[in-house]
Amino acid sequence: MKITVKFFALLREQAGCRELTLDTTAATPVALYAELMQTCGLSVPSGILTFAVNERYVPAATPLAAGDRVVFIPPVAGG
Amino acid sequence: MFALTEQPIDAAALRASLQRPEAGAFVVFEGWVRNHHRGRPVTRLDYEAFAEMAQSEGEALVAEVEHGFPGVKIICVHRCGDLAPGDVAVWIGATSAHRDDAFRAARLAIEEVKRRLPVWKKEYHPGAEPVWVNCTEDTGVARNAAAYNARQTALPEVGEDGQKRLARASVLVAGVGGLGCPAALYLAGAGIGRLTLVDGGKVELSNLHRQGLFEMGDVGAPKAPRAAMALRARNPHVVVEALSSDITAVNARALVTGRTVVLDCTDNFATRLLLHDVCLESGVSLVQAAVHRWEGVLNVFTRGEGGCIYCTGMPRRPAELDTVGNCSGAPVFGPAVGMLGLLQAAEAIKVVLGRSGDDVATRHTLLVDALSAGITRIERPARAGCPYCNRAGERGGAAAAFADVAPLWIDADDLPRPGPQRRVALVTAEELAGVELPSGFLALHPADTEGLGQLAAPADRPLVLACPYGVRSAAVARALRAGGVAQVFALAGGLPRRAVGTTRPHGTENAS
Repeated sequence: MKITVKFFALLREQAGCRELTLDTTAATPVALYAELMQTCGLSVPSGILTFAVNERYVPAATPLAAGDRVVFIPPVAGG
Repeated sequence: MFALTEQPIDAAALRASLQRPEAGAFVVFEGWVRNHHRGRPVTRLDYEAFAEMAQSEGEALVAEVEHGFPGVKIICVHRCGDLAPGDVAVWIGATSAHRDDAFRAARLAIEEVKRRLPVWKKEYHPGAEPVWVNCTEDTGVARNAAAYNARQTALPEVGEDGQKRLARASVLVAGVGGLGCPAALYLAGAGIGRLTLVDGGKVELSNLHRQGLFEMGDVGAPKAPRAAMALRARNPHVVVEALSSDITAVNARALVTGRTVVLDCTDNFATRLLLHDVCLESGVSLVQAAVHRWEGVLNVFTRGEGGCIYCTGMPRRPAELDTVGNCSGAPVFGPAVGMLGLLQAAEAIKVVLGRSGDDVATRHTLLVDALSAGITRIERPARAGCPYCNRAGERGGAAAAFADVAPLWIDADDLPRPGPQRRVALVTAEELAGVELPSGFLALHPADTEGLGQLAAPADRPLVLACPYGVRSAAVARALRAGGVAQVFALAGGLPRRAVGTTRPHGTENAS
């Protein structure tokens, strides 16, 4: 299925792009991240990430559907 | 109102837009860019936002804070882009009628910004590579969690594995009152990974003597989000969710499903039975407690272990339950609810750790009496003919006919005339001085389980139990029913109080 991934902060720099549309068999955001750690050289450990699908925070094991927009969120640092 | 901006923040304009005649207090928080971080000089910061989501999360958090503090108005603005030391990175203004709400709402708003707004910053240090703050494993969070838990992890019964179990656990605390506050406080302290608080009520002044998560400034506010705020401040490694709602037949199943354990800290029988049924049918352990005045009862219900609530003779007649079971508004000794709440936390943590057998009160009822400083443990076996247990695992199993179960409670007016039944008052010598023993009652010390066993042994004669408030006798009666004594009853409402000024027998205290 086709999924759109957006990258921010350190992950954007490591991926070398802001956005990527890819064909994947990963069933969940955390599985997709594990896949991209290999192919894109992402270094942030998945244990400290939270995940957003379609601009909402979701649990790491939420099932993905075709067309979803996924963002891997490193610990936030606003304020 | 929430906004993200690339432009410098105009504090005067924001302040002016918050002015309104009904506001008597204005609190502002400004987050400034510092010229140092962890001992290193900082020359500038680059803020990056996931703009679409930051906008919606920011609007949501402002709405939640305003909802939690009725009458408060909030403006929150966050900068993006390149900032230099001294620049304002975040501006939060809160206005309210009185100062306390404005202080507390502004504080909550900045904590929520820091917790959930998808914004990151890159720090620039002279002569070194810039660093994305928090984006490496060494964020301090994991290191702090280990130190936070050190004294508990050092217990051989917990250890690293046990701590991981706790961190993976998801626990529902139903009711954030006298039981739920201490229970949730210690569950958060233990490092339970996900803690969900559910309570549809608001904080009242008369709650504060026993509900230690709340302060004077919380009076009138919804309980669950205020308690969550207090818990997050105490242990930031725990995810605390708050739901300002009552537990109903509509939402109970969704709230219970997937939990490691559920704590029933509610104060009414309808919810208690609902949670019991849903937990047993979902296979989730339930730690249930109830307190009346000085005394409390605790049970851990786990499917397939020990008796269920109906094995103990608990009736399903709402009218009967309503008259005896609801403790909302009743007199209560603060430390007694505190003790029971802590016992609930202890039992829940042991369930998460996988302790079993007699380590957990799954086959026992604990009776706690804060007035006489006693804890009594009564066996609570499964009853062979229990219609509910026979349908365990079936949805709606509790709908089985309970018509054959005799009511547990009897009124003083309905006591049979002196005859074949035995009447036993479970009272200490001290309590005996304050109550009237109705005709035919024999006094027995509550801890004298052997004596009670002998009295209960002839099953052909009904046994009526009483105690000062009706709680202890009901718990004992249920336990006896679970043990096969069918003809056992509890005196509803407890023993009549001795009238003030009444002389003791033999007239040894004469006020005149």
